[in-house]
Amino acid sequence: MSDIVVDLEVNGVRYERTVPARLSLADFLRDSLGLTGTHLGCEHGVCGSCTVLVDGRSARSCLLLAAQVSGATVRTVEGLAESDGSPGTVQSALARHGGIQCGFCTPGFVVALTELVAEGKELDEEEIREALSGNICRCTGYHGAIAAAVELTGPDPGCAGCDQECGS
Amino acid sequence: MSANENARVAPLVGQHVQRGEDLRFATGQGRFVADHVSTTTLHAVFLRATQAAGQIRSIDTLAARDCPGVLAVLTGTDLAGTLAPIGALHEPNEAFVDAFSFQMADIAIPCLVTDRVHYVGEPVAVVVAESRAMAEDAAELIDVDYTPGTAVTTPQAALEPAAPRVHEHLPDNIAASLRGGFGDVPAASKGAAHRVTGRFRMGRHSGVPLECRGVVASWDPARGRVDVRTSTQVPHFVRTAICASTGWSVSEVHVSTPDVGGGFGPKANVYAEEVVIAYLARLLGREVAWLEDRAEHFVASAQGRDQHLDAELAVDSTGHIVSWSVEFLADVGAGSLWVAGITANTALHSVGAYRVPHFQVVGTAVYTNKTIVAQYRGAGRPEACFALERCLDMAAEAAGISRLEIRERNLLRAEELPKRLPLPYRDGVPITYDGADFRRCLRACEQRLPDDLLDTLRARYPGMYLGSGVATYVEATGRGPYESATVRLLADGTFEVGVGSACAGQSHETTFAQIAADALGVPMSAVRVRTGDTDAVADGIGSFASRSAVVGGSAVHRVCSQLRARARELVARCLGIEQDSEHEPTWSEVGRLLAPGGELAEQAPLSVTGTFEPPTVTWTMGAHLAVVGVAPETGIARVLHYVVAHEGGVEINPTVVLGQIRGGVAQGIGGILLEEFDYADDGQPATATFAEYLLPGSCDVPPVDVVHLPGPAQLNPIGVKGVGESGTIAVYAAVASAIEDALSCPAGTLTSTPVLPSTMLDIAESSVDASV
Ligand code: FES
Ligand code: FES
Repeated sequence: MSDIVVDLEVNGVRYERTVPARLSLADFLRDSLGLTGTHLGCEHGVCGSCTVLVDGRSARSCLLLAAQVSGATVRTVEGLAESDGSPGTVQSALARHGGIQCGFCTPGFVVALTELVAEGKELDEEEIREALSGNICRCTGYHGAIAAAVELTGPDPGCAGCDQECGS
Repeated sequence: MSANENARVAPLVGQHVQRGEDLRFATGQGRFVADHVSTTTLHAVFLRATQAAGQIRSIDTLAARDCPGVLAVLTGTDLAGTLAPIGALHEPNEAFVDAFSFQMADIAIPCLVTDRVHYVGEPVAVVVAESRAMAEDAAELIDVDYTPGTAVTTPQAALEPAAPRVHEHLPDNIAASLRGGFGDVPAASKGAAHRVTGRFRMGRHSGVPLECRGVVASWDPARGRVDVRTSTQVPHFVRTAICASTGWSVSEVHVSTPDVGGGFGPKANVYAEEVVIAYLARLLGREVAWLEDRAEHFVASAQGRDQHLDAELAVDSTGHIVSWSVEFLADVGAGSLWVAGITANTALHSVGAYRVPHFQVVGTAVYTNKTIVAQYRGAGRPEACFALERCLDMAAEAAGISRLEIRERNLLRAEELPKRLPLPYRDGVPITYDGADFRRCLRACEQRLPDDLLDTLRARYPGMYLGSGVATYVEATGRGPYESATVRLLADGTFEVGVGSACAGQSHETTFAQIAADALGVPMSAVRVRTGDTDAVADGIGSFASRSAVVGGSAVHRVCSQLRARARELVARCLGIEQDSEHEPTWSEVGRLLAPGGELAEQAPLSVTGTFEPPTVTWTMGAHLAVVGVAPETGIARVLHYVVAHEGGVEINPTVVLGQIRGGVAQGIGGILLEEFDYADDGQPATATFAEYLLPGSCDVPPVDVVHLPGPAQLNPIGVKGVGESGTIAVYAAVASAIEDALSCPAGTLTSTPVLPSTMLDIAESSVDASV
């Protein structure tokens, strides 16, 4: 089994590591860097819980090899909080709208929503559902994630269509 | 204690308090079982049966033992005499057993099989190595020589007199049986104006939490005990099972849960892997982890549902129920530690929310060569609900009244509640529906379906056939026998609360803190909640059966109220300060006074441990309404709108209640439209990935409108009813009804789940043919 040197930036920190060529990006993040916020729900590319941003685009870290992203900039859920560790905009919107229960899918949703917001498009609910369809949540029925996306991508940030009295 | 510190006026129970758990989950700081593995942890991999039935002639582990990095390879034979099989988790009360002539076969689930395999996925051997890859490579080299047997994969086949037996030591394949009821169904139904019959099947599916199972165990030589971290809903049951299997005493086993990524019932079970990993950690004196992967989950984690029901509903000419009878077969695969619970649940929830003068139920749980079964959200109730509600639709058609009308006429009214049934619940106590007005929920649903909503949906989905359907359910929640809680005052004036109910996403840290804070008269920030740890409370039952808020919450309330009273008594006795006087010390002053060197240091510390034992279950009732669109060219159904109106108790945290219901509905939608574990005739599983086993995604679950109607909840001090399964139970029936409405086909056309596009296409085509 051959080893390979990867050189990449994760959450603003540059890492140069020698890793087995067959190591997935998810395992690299979790086991080599200790960034266990990226979760593995299927290791098959279906559930979306392992989603990270690679050069700003969402990607399934279970399907990528660490070696493939050498030279890239990666952001994980940990890198989407504020610098003092408090939750970022997307993270707090998801929480505020009741979008979190067991929390296992949450990192994937945070990353997917971050990408959606960064695209800057105004989306209707149907388009939001479509955009989030790559992320499985087994607990919430998606209500909170969609309400958060409506708020974050809507014309005026506010609590549209939400009955959680979330206070925004 | 004094209100001048920690001042707070409004109660927290009942508020949309934002969950304390969210901060860590949102920022990636949750710690799930796989996150507890370190670089020095050893990894275990289970070799699993590849045959559904047969004898193991020999197992050759020599090559595996020789692999680099391998520390241990053990088979069932190696462990025979060391690890005893795992026994049943539930046995019903005697009064129930008598009333239902309940019988249960004597089986236990082996940790590793010795000579005979019972399902594909059954643990056969375990390999421990320095890394998972090494363990997997070694496991591949183990050579198991099978004499294949004949598998039975349906309960009907398993009940044939000549059927091969799944468990050799048993006389037949019957896992459990019961028979009960009231009135005289044969006599009553004879003269009824309409008799409708149905043969129903609910497919095999399960909770499939997004996080698979996993166990990390280590040996603590200083304390002489094994620390077991496992992704479970029932840590105390796991400890009991480990002790029973190994013979270790309770003080030698500590079980705790990390953050648990969903449970839904499959994790409210005790598994061989938990016992074996605990044993290996002690044997090797090292930390050992086993992390289930998704492919493994599909064969090794408990599944659910899988029932066949034959039912007959008799109604009079005006659609009033005359009699109701159900005969069901529950396929429990190679076994279920919960077989008593599942069969009893179907039987006890079969009467539903209606006025039923004559009732009979016959149930048989049957072994087959399929994966083991546990209690999946609803646990026997969705099956009962499906049969009854489908038959009500058929009877409405026969009697020439609407589906709403037949329910309106038969639902128990305010003046009939509370309603006592002449049947004992599993705890032996006669069933009493402690509800307020069951018609209220149906009406609330109707009101949430304005005519223009259907028009709006028609305009939005012009190519679809639209239909609506309703169904109602009852659910016994908050079952005992007890839950325990503990609270202690820390020196800084804050509190630590421990509860026996483990959390798998139900927000226990938040909801229990709300209850504790109210009882103590402090803000939530002064309360820290620990759940899922046998060190936090010595005894506990766990989280399943919609019981934690009711029973665990009541235990928290009780110990916290007692602690407050005790503190007041202490202050009055030792300091001469009366309650509510302006001199009453603050909690942090009390903490300091009790600390070493303080004025009250000689007094016993302020801590209370206690249990709450509910007198019996408290019943919830609700109605579901689904609007479904079916695309005629593809046969794909989509639920477009959903309403749940339920009669609940006090909502500790309405956000959490909403989340439970919506999440429950999503799982029901998966069950009726998408999910099934499929098996070939030889018992080989045909569902191995999420490509074959489809989970509902964001486009499959509509917005769910929830109407909460408070009902009486007098069986516990906090006035709570359980809600964990309310969202799921009636979805199957409501959606099936809506599809029939959309396709304008006769009531009762849809009899089995999941309802697949091919079925809907066939119906759509034949109704077009019929109309030509
Ligand atoms: S773990 Fe990568 S998509 Fe599921
Ligand atoms: S919160 Fe549990 S899977 Fe989404």
